[in-house]
Amino acid sequence: MPATDFIELSLDHCIKCNICTAACPVSAVTDLFPGPKYVGPQAQRFRRDGEAPPDDTVDYCSGCRVCNEVCPTGVKIMEINTRAKARIVESRGVPLRSWLLGYQYIIGRLACGPLAGVANLFANLRWVRVLAEQLTGIAREAPLPSFSGYSFRSWARRRQQHAATGRPKVVYFHGCATNYYEPRVGEAAVAVLEHNGFEVIVPEQGCCGLPLLSNGIFSHGRHHHQYNVAQLYPYAAQGIPIVGTSTSCTLTLKEEAPELLAMHDEQTRVVAEHTYDIFEFLRLLHERGRLNTRFRRIKRRLPYHAPCQQRAHRIGRPALDILELVPGLTMVESDAACCGLAGSYGYKVEKYRIAMDVGADLFDFMRSSGSDLAVCDSEICRWQIDHGSEVYSVHPIELLREAYGLAADA
Amino acid sequence: MRDTIVIGAGLAGLMGALALAEAGRRPLVLATGYGTTHWGNGTIDVWGQPTTGGPRAAVAAVIASDPDHPYARTGVVGLEAACARFRQVMQAAAYPFVGDLLSDIVIPTALGGFRRAALVPRTMSAGALKAGDRVLIAGFRQLRDFFPPLMAQNLRSQGIAARGVYVELPPVSRSLDFTTRTLAQYFDDDAFRAHVGAQLAHLRGDASHIGLPAVLGMRQPLEVIAELERHSGAQIFEVATLPPSVPGMRIAGILERAIVAAGGRIQIGSAVLRGVAADDRLTDVVSEAAAREQHHRVTRCLLASGGIAGGGVRTDQTGAVWETALGLPLAAPAARRTWFASRSLDPRGHAIFRAGVLSDDRLRPLDQRGHVVYRNVTVAGGALAGADTMRERSRSGVALATGWAAGSRLATVEA
Repeated sequence: MPATDFIELSLDHCIKCNICTAACPVSAVTDLFPGPKYVGPQAQRFRRDGEAPPDDTVDYCSGCRVCNEVCPTGVKIMEINTRAKARIVESRGVPLRSWLLGYQYIIGRLACGPLAGVANLFANLRWVRVLAEQLTGIAREAPLPSFSGYSFRSWARRRQQHAATGRPKVVYFHGCATNYYEPRVGEAAVAVLEHNGFEVIVPEQGCCGLPLLSNGIFSHGRHHHQYNVAQLYPYAAQGIPIVGTSTSCTLTLKEEAPELLAMHDEQTRVVAEHTYDIFEFLRLLHERGRLNTRFRRIKRRLPYHAPCQQRAHRIGRPALDILELVPGLTMVESDAACCGLAGSYGYKVEKYRIAMDVGADLFDFMRSSGSDLAVCDSEICRWQIDHGSEVYSVHPIELLREAYGLAADA
Repeated sequence: MRDTIVIGAGLAGLMGALALAEAGRRPLVLATGYGTTHWGNGTIDVWGQPTTGGPRAAVAAVIASDPDHPYARTGVVGLEAACARFRQVMQAAAYPFVGDLLSDIVIPTALGGFRRAALVPRTMSAGALKAGDRVLIAGFRQLRDFFPPLMAQNLRSQGIAARGVYVELPPVSRSLDFTTRTLAQYFDDDAFRAHVGAQLAHLRGDASHIGLPAVLGMRQPLEVIAELERHSGAQIFEVATLPPSVPGMRIAGILERAIVAAGGRIQIGSAVLRGVAADDRLTDVVSEAAAREQHHRVTRCLLASGGIAGGGVRTDQTGAVWETALGLPLAAPAARRTWFASRSLDPRGHAIFRAGVLSDDRLRPLDQRGHVVYRNVTVAGGALAGADTMRERSRSGVALATGWAAGSRLATVEA
């Protein structure tokens, strides 16, 4: 770690005011996690190379970044915690469950496609979940998404053959969830981008590596990020924007991987600087007067949750900024801190209950909205919202496609 | 998109944003993190130095003697308008404040000293003790930094009959770690407060008043107070704690919801790095974000990023003093050796704490020659020069009055 590493240095900015402790959604519901200040800037002073980790409670940090968001002095608390988790993994080895959660995309790759029906049936059998819980520690109740009968990439391959050329180009980073579980999100993104005059390129790409990073398996996370940088750099170097619908994947490309892994090379930096959340990108278009704003009226009042991973981009609420342009549409934002699931956190048997308790405010908000439809940018949050509140949720890009009057299977 | 930017989410920034939102300007609040509301005591302290005529008269005297004080920019009328709107918003959220600016409300601190406030939440108002009151101070062993026996002892030494006791924690799922926030959450629960209420009835003795740490519920503190009073038969009051401040968090939450309801938006976790200007207008504000900076086109901007304590003004060992968000010119002591008085508790205070942005009568920033720097910017709160609010104990009063005034005046600026 370089001496000037600013994650490490930021802990000296902590003034012990406990604003983070008061905002932390995990320590609000359990004292298995004593709060960001204790496990972050305070415990960090006792973490030394070659010494046993002073405290294991950092494992209960969900990585939601609410602490970073509210800290008045700019301490990189979540990054300190994630690195501390990686040190624990380094000193004790990777448990089976972390491998499974870190590499869940391999399961997605196997089960998505013609076998999806059988796989979904199997994955939701009670005895399978109980057995899986016993063997791996993955909570039996935690919401598993359904494998899709076709992958997004197979859909994109079929379409790209008749894509228009000569238009400005944009790269779409779909992420694993869109590819294996929710191709509809990627289809909506492509439809909206093409409707705005872009040629959408879907290059080779892998998992962003965040599930590995958040489970402390940094070396594998680094390989994944290096692979994606190698795939994306040729586009970024030409100034082609990389746009994603998964707020956690785009955050990983922008910041998580480079910062946590201290990857500060030129190619990583150029890819990061060219990566956009899709609504951030659409908002930039609008600011330049280039967004198509001929929307159909959607007379609805819908609840919206800005996921932690989206808020961590620190770009405000671009989805709301754009959806506000749709006549008749009223979006009501939740003030819940977190859905609780936080990547793979809520899938762990000892953390499932915590995740549900963290999400309780959000579930109440969704249920009391009276709406049968909710809007949220993150796939993980959507699964948790469906699970906790039984309100079906969509990505805002799906709503925007509807506002453009574009058919679901363009 | 949103071209009215408020920098800072403390009391000044939130009050300014509320004024702008209610004027239809759809402000976007950008802040590094939560503001000083979470550190404060949850009261509005207009002037904490001993005076005879109450806060209103004290401010009138300050304005008369010190034309560069931030209160001189709002006048007594501006202070009154801000307090009135603040009270309405708090009242509408079932968190009423008492106080009329004509007399000080004197309430105890957690150490048992007394301090002056202009407006206090109803949850604290019974702490304005009178001769003959008999007081029980009750707390939880699990809550660090609140010691009922110590507070009672100090009250007794000032002639107030007081006892300090600990309440047994009702059965809860938590056993290790308790903060003001976790206790406030527990008080939102019926069973928990009934349990505490029953103990207070038992412990009360002849006490007419019972003081508790300010953790009596995050959502409906008045209901908590009413229920504890029903159980115990004594008047209940909250005593401000060390941070994080539950009363401060209530204020911030109520103001945030009012701002959003009026069309504003809050973006916490986005430090403003700099501004971009053309001649005497600010055109852009740039905030920190993942991988790239975020640019905001600006028609009007309120700077409420705080002073030295709030992070809006920084200093270094070379003697440099600068305003962190827009780089505005500052009025500050010229050399580092003149920052501090020789005694740390000098009654005249330290010159460096008066450092800040000079402003005209519309709260627009001025340079050293007295020229307006940006016509579409106003400044409020701790970022303003001319007040040592910690010594004056006027921090929240100055924030409230200048925040509301700076927001209201900025709302009239046209593109």
